Amino acid sequence: MSGTARRSTADPRVPTAPAVAAVSVVAVVAVVAAVVCAAVAIAWAVAGGGYFWPRWVWFGVATTAAAAFLLGWTRRHPPGRRRRLAAGRAVLALIVPVDVTVWALSGGGYFWPLWSITAWSILFGGYVWVVSRLPDRREQELTTRVAVLAHTRRAVLDGQAAELARVERDLHDGAQARMVSLALSLGMAEDLVRADPEATARLLREARSTAVSALDDLRTVMHSIHPAVLADRGLAGALRALALDLALPVTVDGDAPAQLPAAVQSAAYFATAECLANAVKHSQATAGGISLRHDGAVLRIVVTDDGIGGADPAAGLGLRGVRRRLETFDGRLDLDSPPGGPTVITITVPHGPGRLQ
Amino acid sequence: MSRLRIVLAEDLTLLRDGLIRLFQAHDFEVVAAVDNGPQLVRDLVALRPDVAVVDVRLPPGHTDEGLRAALAARQQLPGLPVLVLSQYVEQLYARELLADGLGGIGYLLKDRVSDVGQFIAAVRRVAAGGTALDPSVVAKLLDSRRRPLDRLSPREREVLAHMAQGRSNAAIAASLVITEKAVGKHTASIFTKLGLQPSEDDNRRVLAVLAYLEG
Repeated sequence: MSGTARRSTADPRVPTAPAVAAVSVVAVVAVVAAVVCAAVAIAWAVAGGGYFWPRWVWFGVATTAAAAFLLGWTRRHPPGRRRRLAAGRAVLALIVPVDVTVWALSGGGYFWPLWSITAWSILFGGYVWVVSRLPDRREQELTTRVAVLAHTRRAVLDGQAAELARVERDLHDGAQARMVSLALSLGMAEDLVRADPEATARLLREARSTAVSALDDLRTVMHSIHPAVLADRGLAGALRALALDLALPVTVDGDAPAQLPAAVQSAAYFATAECLANAVKHSQATAGGISLRHDGAVLRIVVTDDGIGGADPAAGLGLRGVRRRLETFDGRLDLDSPPGGPTVITITVPHGPGRLQ
Repeated sequence: MSRLRIVLAEDLTLLRDGLIRLFQAHDFEVVAAVDNGPQLVRDLVALRPDVAVVDVRLPPGHTDEGLRAALAARQQLPGLPVLVLSQYVEQLYARELLADGLGGIGYLLKDRVSDVGQFIAAVRRVAAGGTALDPSVVAKLLDSRRRPLDRLSPREREVLAHMAQGRSNAAIAASLVITEKAVGKHTASIFTKLGLQPSEDDNRRVLAVLAYLEG
């Protein structure tokens, strides 16, 4: 039965191994029950007939089969309120026919099941009333989850809009402005090429240096969007490259999962980069460390430094932005930075297939 | 100077044609121009050029295939001169390129192509077994607090930066507008202060300096 229940969550057309096992158990039990039913009937005939007592054995077998079926039906409902209501309905659906059958098998007469059925119906009504008014844990979980999702979705959209605005501003003030100046220099050089070759040469030199500066600007903007080394070498490689560029000796150990989604990879990279940038700027540390661990479901990055500690988790736009970005992936950032140090920051990001928590 | 044979790897047609024109104008012979990593390894091993000029990012993966291909070719042909060009530079990649200590390595931003004279000089230096490291990589090396460089005078740090890029005393003298003899004095002082073995060989010198800076 549990096999059937599990199958309903997967592809219903493909029976799982437990489902096949359950079906064969049911078949065996059915055959045994049929044999027992036939055996008691034969025993009754051999014993010479008389009162047909085997009907009570048949009744027992049928009741057990119905109970088993209703149990399985109940368990196919999702846990929580819906399963509790289904259990109530199953009990009612078993008791009413049993009462009526007992009345019929024992010879009929006064229809006493009327009273028991009425009693059971009233009881069931009360049960339904109580169950539907009880706060449901599952429902509460889902409500909280929806609230979290709505909040993080809003935050990520805001963050994305702000990020695009920043990229636009950087391009406008940097590369684009330099391109305008470059076009100007080239235009002037074109005008002067015959009249003043020396001035032309100077303008071309200027144009070249402006082009190089524009490339620098573009490189900076591109790196802030997505560092190329992240695409080249994955998270662990990119963090090793980052560690080499810092004005602080930072060791990197461990590895990241091979099939990390690009968005998670990027969020984890920028989170770590922000932590290290803070360490370089504020901690007066002489050494730092990055440690990567993962267990198939969760990626954990621990960033440490031996500096003065006392980092404030609430301060700094950077860390808040990082937290917001991590929350989109149900990730989190925990900061432990007592005065006097050391500072330990733990970044946790689930990366397995999406599931409800 | 004899015509140097070049294998060029660059997937953007515009840039590839530009580089071919540039090399031909400076009396290089471009023996092959390829646009992907696997072809590059095959051509390098088959043609054994005097120098390979390679874009880091190449098809099929558009990540660091060029770099990997160059390293793979150098495993088969140790010391094969390779100059890697890139839109961005990483110390990590510089270390990987220099790791075998055989020299003949260049690692430059693509922007440096715009200074034609210096770029061609860098290609020739790499072909001759020397080193051409991008100033921005060297700047990052000098910038990090890993190594005590406070003992060096500002001028010595300038000389060190040029030396780490792989330049000869003559080239350093020209670019700082001082005499070659003065450069010699600075380098000797740098080597003493950093506790390095002095070497007349430009290439061994730069490798010693880089090893020191990388820690």
